[in-house]
Amino acid sequence: MRRVFSEEQLDCLQELINVAMGLASNKLARFLSTFVYLQVPSIALVSSAQVSPQFDNQYSGVDSALVSQGFLGNDGLTGEAIVLYQLDNAHRIATLLGYETDSASELEMLTDISSILTTTFLNSLAEQIDNSLSYSAPRVLSSRQENVAEALLDTVCHWDLALKVDISYQLIDHSFNCDMLLLIPGEAVLTIQQILVRILEEC
Amino acid sequence: MTLPVLICDDSLLARKQVRKSLPEFFDADIVTAENGMQALTILRSQEIGLVFLDLTMPELDGIGVLEAIKQEAMDCFVIVISADIQPEMQKRVTELGALAFIHKPVNPEKLVLILKQYGLI
Repeated sequence: MRRVFSEEQLDCLQELINVAMGLASNKLARFLSTFVYLQVPSIALVSSAQVSPQFDNQYSGVDSALVSQGFLGNDGLTGEAIVLYQLDNAHRIATLLGYETDSASELEMLTDISSILTTTFLNSLAEQIDNSLSYSAPRVLSSRQENVAEALLDTVCHWDLALKVDISYQLIDHSFNCDMLLLIPGEAVLTIQQILVRILEEC
Repeated sequence: MTLPVLICDDSLLARKQVRKSLPEFFDADIVTAENGMQALTILRSQEIGLVFLDLTMPELDGIGVLEAIKQEAMDCFVIVISADIQPEMQKRVTELGALAFIHKPVNPEKLVLILKQYGLI
């Protein structure tokens, strides 16, 4: 990691992500009328082979779903924001929020929550780095219908190396947790680095 | 009169942003801390008039610092500068005695406005 990013660049990236995560958490907290614990996100450079095992570790044996959304910005910035859910607590939240409890409504709710988290997070990141992002339509995958780990692999198999950011959104009443996985692949990692160099020069 | 100021944030970028947001005419003697424990060591050993405090930090977070300041009745103003902007968090830091709450990334105009409001500049 240090071989690609300097300590100062990593610190800068971490702070940009903290601010974006803070805004996303605030939106989520308002949507669910609760409080979200902010945890320090983890940032790493990974190969695509490492992503699927991590998912298996976290989600094996539980019904899960993911909502994945690609983004594309200026200067070759591109990536994927994936929000991962365990379906057993999704059911509880669906009832609370007044969604129907059939699986289609449940996935609709997860798409809504993902949209809140992802667009708030990415819009804030884009604003801070003076970029503008466009988004692809979200893709929803549920383990009740297909193998999510394999689907995740499909998403990530187009690159060798990516910048991976793990963010966990944990609600204070433990009613609901979800994880956001931000993947910025290949050449776009260098775009991020150039952006960090510019920000550090300016401050 | 020079005001002894502590900027406490685990991010170097954030500390720089706060320092840069202070108006040039603001006569401050600035020290920095990278976490809550460091901040308390400084606060217990030297006079600090104003603290810019982050919340999400390793070792000891900003809430822990505010609690210690309150408990030990330290005589300093605290302005919280945080990415955690949830209303409940803002309420909590105000109850713990913080003067003001500023969203990250810090907005220099807002900062100056607050400093003026409390007669610090």
